[in-house]
Amino acid sequence: MTAGYLVFLLSGWLFGVPLGGALEIIPRRRSRRVPLAYSYVQGLIDYRGTIYPVFNLAQRLSLKVRDRIGFSAEEEQGGPEESMLLLEVSKNPFAIEVDRVSRMTKFDALAPSPAEAAGVDVQYIKGLAYEQNDEIIILDFERLFFHGS
Amino acid sequence: MGQGPRLLIFSIERDDYAISTDRLVEITVSGLVLNDETLTANFEGKMEFRERILPVLNLKKVFKVQGKPGKVLLVLKTAKGEVGLLVDAVTEFLDTEKLIRPIPQGVMNPTLPYFVGILKHKGSILLLLNEDGLL
Repeated sequence: MTAGYLVFLLSGWLFGVPLGGALEIIPRRRSRRVPLAYSYVQGLIDYRGTIYPVFNLAQRLSLKVRDRIGFSAEEEQGGPEESMLLLEVSKNPFAIEVDRVSRMTKFDALAPSPAEAAGVDVQYIKGLAYEQNDEIIILDFERLFFHGS
Repeated sequence: MGQGPRLLIFSIERDDYAISTDRLVEITVSGLVLNDETLTANFEGKMEFRERILPVLNLKKVFKVQGKPGKVLLVLKTAKGEVGLLVDAVTEFLDTEKLIRPIPQGVMNPTLPYFVGILKHKGSILLLLNEDGLL
């Protein structure tokens, strides 16, 4: 079944989020610090009346930064750099900071994830998609940020 | 006048917090605080206050925030007795009908007792303290 995804770049890796869970792309903004929060929580923002926790996805995934050798033309002309994505899973709104929003696209099916991709634990990966010689990692945000909370 | 709780807004390292005034005894300037090794690490020590000894909690230590102890002392009644809280500054009193919301999911361990919730005020997000959870 074909599904739409928003693809973004973070630390040199491409990730995808289902369009149904993507609320808005906004410029990065300062968040309000929360003492004693989880280490990957940057803070809270108030955007149009909704409070969003801001998660540092790179830290949560312990991402190793990699240099991408060349961007596709679409990525070069893609969305604004250093954006904030407002997302929602299971009625929990949240925000993540990304290096660049790359594109919207559709995938017919996801490939099963290997033991790890980008050094990310397989339990946080829903699957992989391939497009234009790019490997795109589809994350399980519920498990990443809300599992057990 | 609002019908909700009356809150005192104070700041620590430029972040704003709120606490219910129901248990607030006094706002004063911190006096000489003496070290007391019988108190836990989050306490700055104890001080004489109105002819009694008051344990003084350094909120920066509780919140693991860098910086020198605040100079403003909030004296509170808690379930475990009176305690002083060191903060940087007191901003205002707020009679509020504003919605107090829970801390969003996924932010912190839900068993941590330090905050009752959050509320919005003048474009800022305030964290509302649970005074009994601080000790």
